[in-house]
Amino acid sequence: MIGESVPMLDSVARVTGAVDYMINLRLPNMLFGKIVRSQAPHAKLLKVDHTNALQVPGVVAILTGEDLGANAFYGVAVKDQGVVAVDRVRYVGEPIAAIAAESLSAAEEAALLIDIEYDELTAVFDSQAAIQAGAPALHEKSPNNIFKHAKLRHGDLDAAFAAADEIFEDTFTSPVAQQASLEPHVSAAQWDGEHLTLWTASQAPFMVRKTLSEILGIAPEAVRVIVPPLGGGYGGKGHIRIEPLVAAMARKTKGRPVKFVLSRAEEFVTVTKHAASITLKTGVKRDGTFTARQVTIYWNGGAYADASPMLVPAGMVRSVGPYRIPAVSVDSYGIYTNLPPAGAYRGAMSSQTTWAYESQMDIIAHKMGWDPLEFRMKNLFVSGEHFATGEELHDVHFVECLEASAKGLGASPSPLTPPPGGEGKRGRGYGVMMKSTVATSKSQARLKLMVDGTVMLYTSTVEMGQGGHTTMAQITAETLGVPLSAIKVIGPDTAITPFDSTTSASRSTSMMGNAVIAACGSMKKKLFELGAPLLETPPDQLRTENGFIVADETSISFGDILKRNNLNELDEAGEYSTSLGLDPETGQGVATPHWHQGAGAAEVEVDPETGRITILRYSAAAFAGRVVNPRMAQLQNDGNVIFGLGPTLMEEILFDGGQPTNPNLADYAIPSIRDIPNELISICIESDKGEMHGIGEMTLPSVAPAIANAIEDAIGVRIKDLPITAEKILQALREKAEK
Amino acid sequence: MILNVNGSKHEVEAGMRTLLEVLRDDLGLVGTKEGCGVGMCGACTVLVDGKPISGCLTLAQQVAGNEILTVEGLEKDGKLHPIQQAFIDEGAFQCAYCTPGFILATAALLNENPSPGEDEIREYLSGNLCRCGSYQNIIKAVKTASEKARQDV
Repeated sequence: MIGESVPMLDSVARVTGAVDYMINLRLPNMLFGKIVRSQAPHAKLLKVDHTNALQVPGVVAILTGEDLGANAFYGVAVKDQGVVAVDRVRYVGEPIAAIAAESLSAAEEAALLIDIEYDELTAVFDSQAAIQAGAPALHEKSPNNIFKHAKLRHGDLDAAFAAADEIFEDTFTSPVAQQASLEPHVSAAQWDGEHLTLWTASQAPFMVRKTLSEILGIAPEAVRVIVPPLGGGYGGKGHIRIEPLVAAMARKTKGRPVKFVLSRAEEFVTVTKHAASITLKTGVKRDGTFTARQVTIYWNGGAYADASPMLVPAGMVRSVGPYRIPAVSVDSYGIYTNLPPAGAYRGAMSSQTTWAYESQMDIIAHKMGWDPLEFRMKNLFVSGEHFATGEELHDVHFVECLEASAKGLGASPSPLTPPPGGEGKRGRGYGVMMKSTVATSKSQARLKLMVDGTVMLYTSTVEMGQGGHTTMAQITAETLGVPLSAIKVIGPDTAITPFDSTTSASRSTSMMGNAVIAACGSMKKKLFELGAPLLETPPDQLRTENGFIVADETSISFGDILKRNNLNELDEAGEYSTSLGLDPETGQGVATPHWHQGAGAAEVEVDPETGRITILRYSAAAFAGRVVNPRMAQLQNDGNVIFGLGPTLMEEILFDGGQPTNPNLADYAIPSIRDIPNELISICIESDKGEMHGIGEMTLPSVAPAIANAIEDAIGVRIKDLPITAEKILQALREKAEK
Repeated sequence: MILNVNGSKHEVEAGMRTLLEVLRDDLGLVGTKEGCGVGMCGACTVLVDGKPISGCLTLAQQVAGNEILTVEGLEKDGKLHPIQQAFIDEGAFQCAYCTPGFILATAALLNENPSPGEDEIREYLSGNLCRCGSYQNIIKAVKTASEKARQDV
């Protein structure tokens, strides 16, 4: 079963439109919610008057800051974000009030009648402007607007720079972007006395449960979080989004459920990708080795810390790159500005950092007269070496990833000549990525075997299109020795399914996969104990096959073992966790249970007349450990590259005075079928050791630098600011011609 | 007002609501999705007299009297439509929020052009967005469905 491209378990529902996404949820007596949002980027709230709004026929209740207690603030580490704004707003789009009504139209009508008076304050939108003296402070606790400073210190930096033959210093930037799942954020909540049930499109049901318990002042067990399949997540549904507001609103509707569905425009102010400015100072020797690297990163966190106190240190680790560098120093700053809060965006933080370090690799190689591919090969980490955190690297396959992706383009240089009659100039470029996953996290799984042989798998892994439930069913089938058709996957539902930290950071196949394997181990042990007397064979001479326990000459079905022992069911659990981390002052320690490894090779054509970029071929290789489902792995790999083309070539939320000016899918383009490479090659590198890795992000972060490097190869210009638009290409060509 | 959907006539009070709203809220045909609300993503694609349109940009009134086909109308005698089967066989989806729109757009394409080349497929399906990036397998599925239809003739 492991290693087979079985279709997703609910494939028929997926092609008939029958998947029960959150937007389909209808509950008896359900009310419709609407959020009233700030028009000002930074202001004191002088008045929030809902008297007239409450008179609109059909309006049942209105939530404002006055309803909130002192604990109604949340955030992963810094609890600075209110369920709705209290006294002050800090970005355009910040929720100020919420309305629950019998119809959406009534809620929308009432929303227009909430009377809000602002006293506008000076706003700041750029992260580096926000840390200058005299910049307006967004939060009293962070007078300089820095809410997180993560540090990595490794080796003698000054001595190492002194030993360098050449020192390169370059700054690379990425703008604010949006995850843009086609399914928006949707949540519904219903209270029964002091018990809350929340249905939500979230990647992290237990994180939602914990936060709601804290801000609502009820036990975690009094909060039930149910997550149906998601219409995409990409990090945008990680952490906490609209759930606190929805739960607080429902507390005022006397037990009636209320559902909120965000509009596309609201999506753009609900969560974003961190804009980043990354400066790399890198020392190299003439023999082609590194001496030192100093990294300074300014992450634009937006108006609230949100998950950034966790992501900014992750970005620090992910900024160094997969190369042996004796001395490394990183300063990674999380900064408040008056923009919407930033969160994880598929390939979190690595998209920004890989853009920087892999672009600089080619800048160095060109200046020093080295071949970019050979320069990388010479310096890539191999197993047994030590990373800048001090940890030993194991199961390292960067060289194989880069070799495989380069080979995927084909060896012949002939495609690099322009097509007959064509004006385009062609070039090739490469990128390699090294990314950590979550250092400390836990996954639990529970199996219930029924007398008819059905195996219920209870898991809080969220099915968001990655095939997580199918993967877990395959692992169960293989490990327990049952047909795939015997398995039913249930969850997430925090009242029924056991704990899982989150479905993010490509951790599920590894973490939940191992929890499932542990649960299967316990179940087999129990079945062998119960089956041994029936088969008159010692437990250690039994095996499982196709739902049977098999001895040399006899066998008995799992169901019959239960029946013969007068059992209705067997219930077994499994757990897998890691507890790692870094010293907060030095960044030394262990950053991750294993490293995400990927590489990409691009062949592009650039039209110097129009600046148009065509991706002729893209070859992407990920280290996948042991592949559970090859076709789903290929889909994730393809999806990484295609998703990555967005921030590379087109995606950027534009703001005017803090107001997003393109918050819709007409003005904010995401890759369509016409934007994909003419030829896309996806490669999964497998390990004979059989450790399973997630691959949801591995080939994404290399896309931008591989394409930028190919563009420089083609036309000799270097773009350092994403996205790489035709306008930027033409501007760079003009500047080059003027020189 | 009468709407003719998937071969059945439905009496609806559409008012000024969009076809998408009426299909989802009144008729319970929730396979059709709203993605962007401005006709850019194709998640709300339905066929009107065989032509793909955006349900979010079309008032239900405008298509009274026309034949409307949604994803729910594709199955025949409890069997998946060959395009639906091809999407499964080629693994042409991940989160599948966009899938009904892609399948209906494919049905319209193959109706107009039973043997489209890859460029024609890319051109025709460019009004449907898949954020998961399953496009390669979608192209394979369209080709498979096209070949299957030719073999069956």
